[in-house]
Amino acid sequence: MSARTFRAAAGALLALAAWTGRASAQERVFVRPEPGTPVVAVQVVVGVGPADETAAQAGISYLAARSVVEPSRAAFNSLGARLDVDQQKDAIAFTLTAAPDAWAEAARLLMVSIFRDPVDSAAVVRQRAAIVRELTGREASPADALERERARAVYGTEHPWGRPSVGTATSVRAVRVSQVDAFLRQNFTPERSVVAIVGPVDEAEARDAMAPHMPAGELRADSVPAPEPGDSTVDAEYNSITTWVSATWRYGPDSDVEALRMLAQLALDRVSFGPSRRSVYNSRAEVVRYAGGGELRLTVVVPPREAEQWAGQLREAVGGYAGAALSPAVFLDRLRRFRGERLMELGLPEQRAAAMARAALLGDRTATLVDFTRLTPERLQAAARALQSPIVVYLGPARSPGG
Amino acid sequence: MLTLSLALALAAAPPDTARHRPPPTQAAPAITVHNQPALPVVALRMSIVASDPPGYAGAGHLFQHLHLPALEEQAARVGGRVQAIRGSDAIVYSVVGPATELDYLAGILRSALRVPGGGANAGMLQALSALAGERSAERETAAGYVRARLRSQLFPADLPPAGTEDAAARLQSAPLADVWGEIYAPDRVSIVAVGDVNLNAVERAFRSLPEAPAPGRLPPDLADTVASLAADTPQATRGWIGTAWRADSADAAALSVTARLLRNSLRRRMTRSSVEVEHWWTHHGQALALVVATPDSLVPAARRTVTAALETLGAGVTDESVRAAGAAVRREMLFYSRTPERMAELLGEFADRGGGRDATQRYYAALGEVTEADVRRVLEQLAAAEPGTVNVAPQRIPADQRRR
Repeated sequence: MSARTFRAAAGALLALAAWTGRASAQERVFVRPEPGTPVVAVQVVVGVGPADETAAQAGISYLAARSVVEPSRAAFNSLGARLDVDQQKDAIAFTLTAAPDAWAEAARLLMVSIFRDPVDSAAVVRQRAAIVRELTGREASPADALERERARAVYGTEHPWGRPSVGTATSVRAVRVSQVDAFLRQNFTPERSVVAIVGPVDEAEARDAMAPHMPAGELRADSVPAPEPGDSTVDAEYNSITTWVSATWRYGPDSDVEALRMLAQLALDRVSFGPSRRSVYNSRAEVVRYAGGGELRLTVVVPPREAEQWAGQLREAVGGYAGAALSPAVFLDRLRRFRGERLMELGLPEQRAAAMARAALLGDRTATLVDFTRLTPERLQAAARALQSPIVVYLGPARSPGG
Repeated sequence: MLTLSLALALAAAPPDTARHRPPPTQAAPAITVHNQPALPVVALRMSIVASDPPGYAGAGHLFQHLHLPALEEQAARVGGRVQAIRGSDAIVYSVVGPATELDYLAGILRSALRVPGGGANAGMLQALSALAGERSAERETAAGYVRARLRSQLFPADLPPAGTEDAAARLQSAPLADVWGEIYAPDRVSIVAVGDVNLNAVERAFRSLPEAPAPGRLPPDLADTVASLAADTPQATRGWIGTAWRADSADAAALSVTARLLRNSLRRRMTRSSVEVEHWWTHHGQALALVVATPDSLVPAARRTVTAALETLGAGVTDESVRAAGAAVRREMLFYSRTPERMAELLGEFADRGGGRDATQRYYAALGEVTEADVRRVLEQLAAAEPGTVNVAPQRIPADQRRR
């Protein structure tokens, strides 16, 4: 890419960075009018999760969230609206997608379901059974097993985020209807919620539509205990012919998250399948962000005998960028690709709504979608240098001593 | 104007949301641009409206397989994605990436209009193998088999995109330039761009297209022979019933709404079966296809229900149910087209069928105006047509081989 092309690109990127959802007076509703987008996406994020649950009731947030919207499913269908519920470590996300002529009615229905309707006991019973079935089925999945081991290792066995965010089949089965009702009344409140609306909407009308459900006031965010990680290496035995090797770097609240995202993508390139890495069956990189920091995760699936070697390669793939900064030409080439990949991640209106809502939940009042405009080789290098040693999890057949 | 969203967001849409300009020269493609400023991304869809040369069925898709690895690698350099689809109407390539990379992305598409270069020989076996895999896949599962056989009954000229065994053998030794020369001409190319771009920029990016190779020297009058589908019925755990009616003269919007009503009606009555009702629509014609999978014990009842499906629907259709079905199809269109690449796909598909540049918008508007009388007219047309039928019996497992 020539310098001229890059300047043009940078100009466009700055414009994107300035495209922020505008917050309404109450600072918890964000609207991004998008003429030309064919549907409206609404993301309601309620800051409730494992930190609000006891260990015995793990998964009650997710059960409550699914139960509370279940009675409205038929109405959403009749409006042609789609609703997804996703439990994250620090929040529940409700994602609604609807046609422009139906979104306001569907959003009203969703808000009433979450904040005003009493929970339907039959819905709780049905959803509890459904979640137990799903969790039982997922217990055998290596991806889920890895996630459980990683959470325990990174946050500690006693930390609420060390538990599965959706609970376990055993814990969910034990939750009673009355407990769900009490949990909802105490925790599912507008004060702990943010809303992001994206699509062909009039900003004032969108805000008016939310006003009856989102009274003015600051976002109430509860603190989460500090992580208490265990050993830096975890061996989890699993009956398989491959080994999953995962390295997780925790980062703090002041970290350069956009630089870490780019770092994760670059590191992934160094460990993905290729002519010189034929034994990598699968690979994945992700950067997740919560209140107080987040995680950079790098995972490969490899033959068991190579597991230890690959753990070293994962460390090097990230740590290598802490050395000398990339040359400007190489950096621009990598940034060109990273920019495209980041934009592709926001291709769906619901993905843009989700990005806005998460940014708002974490205190970014402008709810900026992306922040790659000012990335430099030095920022990338600094982000890599700021990372401590990773926690490595092996999931696979038992490793012999010394590998 | 040519936008779906305009129909619903007239007030919000900028005045120049969509532009279309016919090609100024034979070497430039027809271009349609739908401006979506939501994200600095652009989706480009390039279609070559052409059939495969007689005797060389699958040729267009073979070229796609030959080009695709290089296209994917190029798009990945800017974080973009490429897709290649061979439809009944056109050979289609799509690429999506940052809008600032418009010229680069257009270059990727233009490169697919050339005859694959020196490295193509190495990729030929791989591409032919991929085609063979796709041909087999169509017959491997009951779901694919039922549809393929119905299609061959209703539209014998609509050959599978992956071609035939005989054609594959010919393609292996045919001069690629001659085959491509029979398929490609610049005036067969159309471009749809959706995203944060304007018409002038897209026109500049596709200012000139590669010239077509000199007219081919392929042997004339070869025939494409598709192996009999009846010979290799797949094994299935449920009974499969397929019925399709050709409806070339039916109003397209009314046919879509009828398909939705029929699906709703059958799903209500066949709760233990899976029911799909589809509107097939290519330049070969239109059809309404019904594919049902049902447990072994319910096959006779399901067959009766399917046989009487049109009549039953006719007895229960109301203006209100027609309006609801039309609204549901419209909303599904909007939901489907919520990414730039899917919007481009939708706009392009309608144009490739020969409906003109505003075909999508007219269809979308027509869905909202379908009446009970329109649906009844479609039902009459279907009832008068000779249906294609396919049945796949469930596999019988001998008692001594059943798991205890």
